[in-house]
Amino acid sequence: MSAPSKPYLLDFYPLEDEKQTRIAPFFAHLRAGRLTTTKCEADSSVHWPPRVTCPLCHGNRLVWVDLPKEGKLYAFSALVLGLPMGMEGDAGAVVGMVELGNSGVRIFSRIRGRKYEDLRVGDPVEFETYDTGDGRVFYRFVSKL
Amino acid sequence: MRKVALVAGGLSTWGIRPATWGELLQEAGQELFANARNLDAKDVDSLFVGAAQPERLAFQSHVAPMAAELLGVRPSRFVRRVELACASGQTAIQDAYVAIASGLSDVALAVGVEKMNLPSMAEATTSMANVLDRAWDGVHGGTAPPFFAMVAQRHMMEYGTTAEQMATVSVKNHRFANSNPKAQFYAKTFAKEKLLTGPMVSPPLRIGDCSSMTDGAGAVLLVGEELASKYTDTPAWVAATSQYTDFHNLANMASLTEWTGLRRAAQDLYARGRTDAAHIPLAEVHDCFTISEIVEYEDLGFCPKGAGGKFAAEGQSDLGGSVVVNPRGGLLGCGHPLGATGIGQAVEVLGQFQSTVPAARLVKGASQALTHNLSGSANVHTLTLYRRES
Repeated sequence: MSAPSKPYLLDFYPLEDEKQTRIAPFFAHLRAGRLTTTKCEADSSVHWPPRVTCPLCHGNRLVWVDLPKEGKLYAFSALVLGLPMGMEGDAGAVVGMVELGNSGVRIFSRIRGRKYEDLRVGDPVEFETYDTGDGRVFYRFVSKL
Repeated sequence: MRKVALVAGGLSTWGIRPATWGELLQEAGQELFANARNLDAKDVDSLFVGAAQPERLAFQSHVAPMAAELLGVRPSRFVRRVELACASGQTAIQDAYVAIASGLSDVALAVGVEKMNLPSMAEATTSMANVLDRAWDGVHGGTAPPFFAMVAQRHMMEYGTTAEQMATVSVKNHRFANSNPKAQFYAKTFAKEKLLTGPMVSPPLRIGDCSSMTDGAGAVLLVGEELASKYTDTPAWVAATSQYTDFHNLANMASLTEWTGLRRAAQDLYARGRTDAAHIPLAEVHDCFTISEIVEYEDLGFCPKGAGGKFAAEGQSDLGGSVVVNPRGGLLGCGHPLGATGIGQAVEVLGQFQSTVPAARLVKGASQALTHNLSGSANVHTLTLYRRES
């Protein structure tokens, strides 16, 4: 992995490798096209974001499980004014809460592929990964319409 | 526990100010010392400084001793900065209350300050994106406007709330700000029609639905019961305080439109203060966006769930309504210097009790008032109940 292009403290993406985080497998899974998170073997709770201890039972018998890659828009908006540094070029970008299949997990994400005006609550979206431009990988969702 | 009185307040002018963080704080301190009868700097034993992001917005850490030096006080009991994003100011007051109620402090200053207007607006908004879970929510562009825009979208969908009802909140709070020379939007008028066609920030929220980036500071003095009469004839007595949080990452928010943490914090506040929503004549609430104030009417219990838009449109939160909300002008009218906002709300409550605010916003005979701040994605709610009589 190459060094981030900006100082770490002005960079939004997590530091992904095993020298920096104990959830490096999450990012390795992204590279393999999988959206995963942690599940507690003791109490069956599913977490987001991935954890190293279970917030319910405080144990550490956690396993990686796949989340559904398809979901529906629960709510959404767009970044029109007031974008943060590094995102100034993204004016108009859509963001939203995505309900992942029947998993009960609802996560916030960038939504690609369709303008705000052309989207409705309930519209189908699909997981995809992208290169952050400095060797790291991240996820977003794309409209299936 | 010992009873605690809020006896004096002071504010800088709020707005886009040609002044640094420390200069704003000096202005607020000067007004506080002018307003607090008999106050000697040597009386102050504790200082709590509400500041959300001085590291990012002023490149300054360890701000409490710096604030003490600027204010000319030498705290001997407690000196610290209090950070809770948009609720930093009210949380500083809560800490001062706890210190005095316990008997460990007698005379405490709670101050709040934020310098938000920088040469680069993008640099300032970057410091808003790290209030949410930066690596999982902020990374996608999750700042306050898109988050509260989603709240508005769902509230409109679930309860039929309209953009026009939301604009009513903005018109009311900007009108109140016209009686407040310290407000960012003092002496500026906002017609509903103009708000409804203003530039979009994050749809459906237009610029008139959003509070501003503001430079400002505030200071209040809290003292133990037996000392109150030295500093004022009419204090605001702290009757109760509460706080509740139940999630941080947006994935773990049970409902966008029903703020469970606020319902719980309000329940605690009313129980501790032996009152209920029907007996609150005056409320300073966190209208960071118009939709926030609408949800807050509901979850504070001022109206049924889903009826907040109608409540605003009917004028129930205006002078002459069932509860006057944000008479100082709110965050929409005064601006929102994160660390100072909660202090500004407390200064308003004291001014209301002392009848020193202009008649255009005076809530005559209000015997009690509440202040509310949310922080982050409405995942923390901080409340204080004040009474005119102890």
